[in-house]
Amino acid sequence: MKFEIQLEGVSGKTKRVVQLEKHGKGYRILLDGRQVDADAVQVAPYTISVLLGGQSFEVHISDAPDGRLNLQIGVHEFMAEVVDPRAWRGRKHGPLEAAGRQQIIAPMPGKVIRMLVKLGDAVEAKQGLAVIEAMKMQNEIRSPKSGKVERVLVEEGQNVSAGEVLCIVT
Amino acid sequence: MFKKILIANRGEIAVRILRACRELSIRTAAVFSDADRGALHVRLADEAYPIGPAPSRESYLSIDKLMDVSRRAGCDALHPGYGFLAENPALPRACKDAGVTFIGPPAEAMEAMGSKTAGKQLARRADVPTVPGTSEAIDNPEEVQALARSMGYPVVLKAIAGGGGKGMRVVDNDSEFTAAWRDAASEALNAFGDPRMFLEKYLLKPRHIEIQVFADAHGRVVSLGERECSVQRRHQKVIEEAPSPVVTPDLRRRMGDAAVRLARAGGYVNAGTVEFLVDAQLNFYFLEVNTRLQVEHPVTEQVTGLDLVKLQIAIAAGHRLPFAWESIAPRGHAMELRLYAEDPDNNFFPCPGKILARNAPTGPGVRLDEGVYEGYTVPLEYDPLLSKLIAWGNSREETISRLRRALDEYTITGIRTNVSLFRRILGEAEFLTSNIHTNWLDELLARPHPPAEAPRAGTEEAALLAAALWSSRKPDSSAGGRPGSEMDQMSEWKRDGRRQQLDRMP
Repeated sequence: MKFEIQLEGVSGKTKRVVQLEKHGKGYRILLDGRQVDADAVQVAPYTISVLLGGQSFEVHISDAPDGRLNLQIGVHEFMAEVVDPRAWRGRKHGPLEAAGRQQIIAPMPGKVIRMLVKLGDAVEAKQGLAVIEAMKMQNEIRSPKSGKVERVLVEEGQNVSAGEVLCIVT
Repeated sequence: MFKKILIANRGEIAVRILRACRELSIRTAAVFSDADRGALHVRLADEAYPIGPAPSRESYLSIDKLMDVSRRAGCDALHPGYGFLAENPALPRACKDAGVTFIGPPAEAMEAMGSKTAGKQLARRADVPTVPGTSEAIDNPEEVQALARSMGYPVVLKAIAGGGGKGMRVVDNDSEFTAAWRDAASEALNAFGDPRMFLEKYLLKPRHIEIQVFADAHGRVVSLGERECSVQRRHQKVIEEAPSPVVTPDLRRRMGDAAVRLARAGGYVNAGTVEFLVDAQLNFYFLEVNTRLQVEHPVTEQVTGLDLVKLQIAIAAGHRLPFAWESIAPRGHAMELRLYAEDPDNNFFPCPGKILARNAPTGPGVRLDEGVYEGYTVPLEYDPLLSKLIAWGNSREETISRLRRALDEYTITGIRTNVSLFRRILGEAEFLTSNIHTNWLDELLARPHPPAEAPRAGTEEAALLAAALWSSRKPDSSAGGRPGSEMDQMSEWKRDGRRQQLDRMP
């Protein structure tokens, strides 16, 4: 099996090809066409133990909501987009919004306690836009840029779910 | 001794209490809201009873429902844990009416000491030094603002019924006053059902050091030493340790004496904590009394060798404290980290959700008090505390090394946690030398993050191999099949046949 993997980590993005070939009980592993001295075993439902040239790595893995894979190795975190030649379609995702126009989303479910801006207000970067209460704590949502409030989509007292757009700053 | 104890709480503290009960061969009755049917405390308790919908006002804060469960289950005592109703005098009163022993102080002692203003008045009477400020609740924001102006900024607004940093705001100047008052009062109303506030002068760079006291019903009051809780994020304790690196035996004795004096003056019984602010000259000022078991009680347990929950139960049952404890001294060093389901890279927003994988650290000098498990969904309705990681050793240095080692072993995936915050703190020179104060962490977090340590050679390749192996286990990667479910149940023969078929495709 051949996988084209786009890996995104602290040091940027790389695209590599991993091949797994059945070999006895395990796999022969090729990285970019070259065989590597490696062994990968799934030791728990979301944990894979990798031995690479004698170095031991424990990889915690899960499916991210955007269709990519989330991988954690110690303090390091990676996101991987796997293109499987077997699949009919890839999973390419472009940026979600145009540059300059910012959707302000609720980072988690909660209740809008206060809207600090209204339609047409000029805002500074880091200025508070709304106060959301979640788990009994009030948190201020701040503007990522200076600009103007183009739309306000929620009201005070309204419950919002994670990812819901609160307002739009242009 | 009691036959059956009702645990009027949830999460890690409910688990902590039922463990103590089990060691004492006392049966346990747990309660749970609709959001907590699958919670660990329900699974571990001998008995468990539903008490209503997820919002705590309709479940964990309902005294009527708790009393009803207590009667139906035939409980002879109730432990309130911390938070929820633990410091509400109506609960011990309801217990008294129902003939159930409340494991905590009497209602009168709660009233005399529990609210911040009453505690302050009592402290003045007991000759315990206090921070300048109003000693009574003031309802009128204009009046408070005028007082703040005359006192000089910065000042701090605190909810009368407050705790855990909720309903509390520091005001740096006059223009911030109105907004701060509104936020703090609304937060206090939501969290405690009481919007009343009071005002205090804000001390610069103080340390937060508290004394654990215990009092029996026969007039003996002892101090079990201090806990240093200066590492706080927005007034919420994040790391606690015992003993405090700055407290000398003489200061320990003087602070302990002051705390004992206060507990005596308030007619206190059972476990309580007297919190102090300590300035750079090691002057201490009374802050407030917590009339309950504290979240951070394990660090005191590790340096005294005592089980504070069992001690609470024994005192409630009328037992006496031994004389010898009046001169108890800490042994070694203990430290606790509060692990929360929150995202340190996104302003510490709570991140409830399902825990996919969890590896708990074990080994020498490590203790984990928690209310979660692999596969558990952390509900969004409550405080997102996941676990308390506690380590102890012969010295502060050994304790910190153990915490670092335990953090390396500890994994929770599926949800975001604040583990990276602790890795950062435990590497900071100022923390290692304990050159800290209650704003230290907020100041640290305002500074730019140090660049992430480069991963060791092979890390990226290991991630790639794992991603490939994971994807190979899916029946069709684009369909998002879940390994570990249907694929595991499929016969190896079928699976391999299928694999070979697929491999023939280009």
